[in-house]
Amino acid sequence: MALHDEEMRFVYGETLCELMDENPNVVCLEADLSKASGTNPRVAARHSERFINVGVCEANMICVAAGLASEGKIPFCASFSCFASRRVYDQIAISVAYANLNVKIVGTSPGITAGPNGGTHMDFGDLAIMRAMPNLHVYSPCDAYELRAVLRHMAQNYQPTYLQLLRQRLPPIFDESVEFDPHSAVVLREGTDVTLVSTGYMTQFTAGVAERLASEGIQVELLHYPSVKPFDVETLVRSARKTGAVVTVENGSVIGGLGGAVCEALAERHPVPVRRLGVPDRFGEVASEEYLLEKHRFGPEHIAEACRSLATAGRGVGR
Amino acid sequence: METGETFDRARFDRLAAEWRYVITDMICRAGSGHLGGALSLVEIVMTLYYRIMRIDPANPRWPDRDRLVLSKGHGAPVLYVALAYKGFFPKSWLPTLNADGTRLPSHADARTVPGVDMTTGSLGQGLSAACGMAIAAKMDHRRHNVFCIIGDGESNEGQNWEAALLAAHRGLDNLVAITDYNKLQIDGFTEDVLNLEPIADKWRAFGWETFEADGHDWDDLYSALTSAVAVSGKPAMVIAHTVKGRGNALIENRAESHNIKVPDETTYRQFMDALEVKDFTLPY
Repeated sequence: MALHDEEMRFVYGETLCELMDENPNVVCLEADLSKASGTNPRVAARHSERFINVGVCEANMICVAAGLASEGKIPFCASFSCFASRRVYDQIAISVAYANLNVKIVGTSPGITAGPNGGTHMDFGDLAIMRAMPNLHVYSPCDAYELRAVLRHMAQNYQPTYLQLLRQRLPPIFDESVEFDPHSAVVLREGTDVTLVSTGYMTQFTAGVAERLASEGIQVELLHYPSVKPFDVETLVRSARKTGAVVTVENGSVIGGLGGAVCEALAERHPVPVRRLGVPDRFGEVASEEYLLEKHRFGPEHIAEACRSLATAGRGVGR
Repeated sequence: METGETFDRARFDRLAAEWRYVITDMICRAGSGHLGGALSLVEIVMTLYYRIMRIDPANPRWPDRDRLVLSKGHGAPVLYVALAYKGFFPKSWLPTLNADGTRLPSHADARTVPGVDMTTGSLGQGLSAACGMAIAAKMDHRRHNVFCIIGDGESNEGQNWEAALLAAHRGLDNLVAITDYNKLQIDGFTEDVLNLEPIADKWRAFGWETFEADGHDWDDLYSALTSAVAVSGKPAMVIAHTVKGRGNALIENRAESHNIKVPDETTYRQFMDALEVKDFTLPY
């Protein structure tokens, strides 16, 4: 079975196993969600001495990880993104980021993918709040291959990091050869009329949108950001200079996340019209991904419409 | 590696008084600071660094050293004094406490201070970090101990009790925690703000071998700490009964001792004059 036929959490568990095989300092921490994260039974069975389940104590998990990291360990700690970010924000801020300790925080089921757990577990703000924290990198890979490359990078580089981990199976964007550089956005497709910027879960929809608009004569440039922080400003500005209009789409709030990063960069470097797609200023609810994409108007149809509208506006009246 | 020093009561008494003199001066120079909680820790920190912990001031990151997490990070001045007197860094740094651009911030900082093992300051996080350090030691089959000092006010934070569960669950017998039980927190006496009693029973119920000691008595402290280190199969807690602001009559056992304000020379003199012993020359 190809890697992209597996659930992303399986890829997380498998890759973490490999990293633990290779490096005796890599440690896996869980807070009673190890099956959901994909580390149980894989990691728990193969590396039981480095598999630490702290129970339902997320705050403790983050600071235990900080203690491990201060001893040269490379702890990966997972929980649902709502608990791995906002619930433990101060623990991450002080014991990880401020202390500059090499802890890897993995937030699973981000944004609308928290579906059946509903509004209490559906967090739209993790990219925004984690991005606002000094010393912390924030990654959101879009497929199994990129996830594996990102995890390898995380294990090999001393850097406090927050990773959005989508748990489900996702269509392949890349293949085995993909590389990850947190300082580089990926140009998935070149275009001249409008730039479409995405990260994580939403990137799977952008190629289809670009194909469809190409048949209408609109050339969309696709930028994928596996790293929301650091944020590759140069690639964005280069693209915006060419297309003159930017649409952003993310699996989370339009406030402060990817769209926020794009607007901050463009406002200072090359102001052009921007349309941010994602969840407006709302909490989540129990619902399917399809329902939420439609309700908050950031599914493929809405992305296409936003790109069409901005591309047309950029070319002047009559097109 | 430096082994424990020979105990000489007169010398230790004199040195503890000198530390109180220096700590009071440092905090007064800074214009404000957490004096009470630093003074209650003097005998505890000195006993750890002079009699209990294996350390190497020339090699602060020596892998086999004993670690100390000062979870009540606002007690940092006494830790800085201990490290400077042990030779981890020059005593000339001490009067820079909280000064612009200093390496010695108000809360313990492992990034800038040689010998500080964990950055602390947000209460309730240090015991968790100490658990992580103790787990790492077990993983690596190293035999050193991890010490962690928590405050009594700090013990209000629920995260301590998460860490307490984990340490007992994993049988972290290389972990020794000490509660600086001075019975005061910022807003008043702990029994009025949020009662901790019966505190020793709580730790026992959480699965910790628990000792109580007079936190200002050299023999009592040493005895409790050596017993705690010797515990096998579970973590150990030493409830150290202390007096906040100990040795400074102006603030002893008063809630106001938590964070003093020293706006002028007159106030500075009042704090220095209130010290029990004050015939010292500042070492900087």
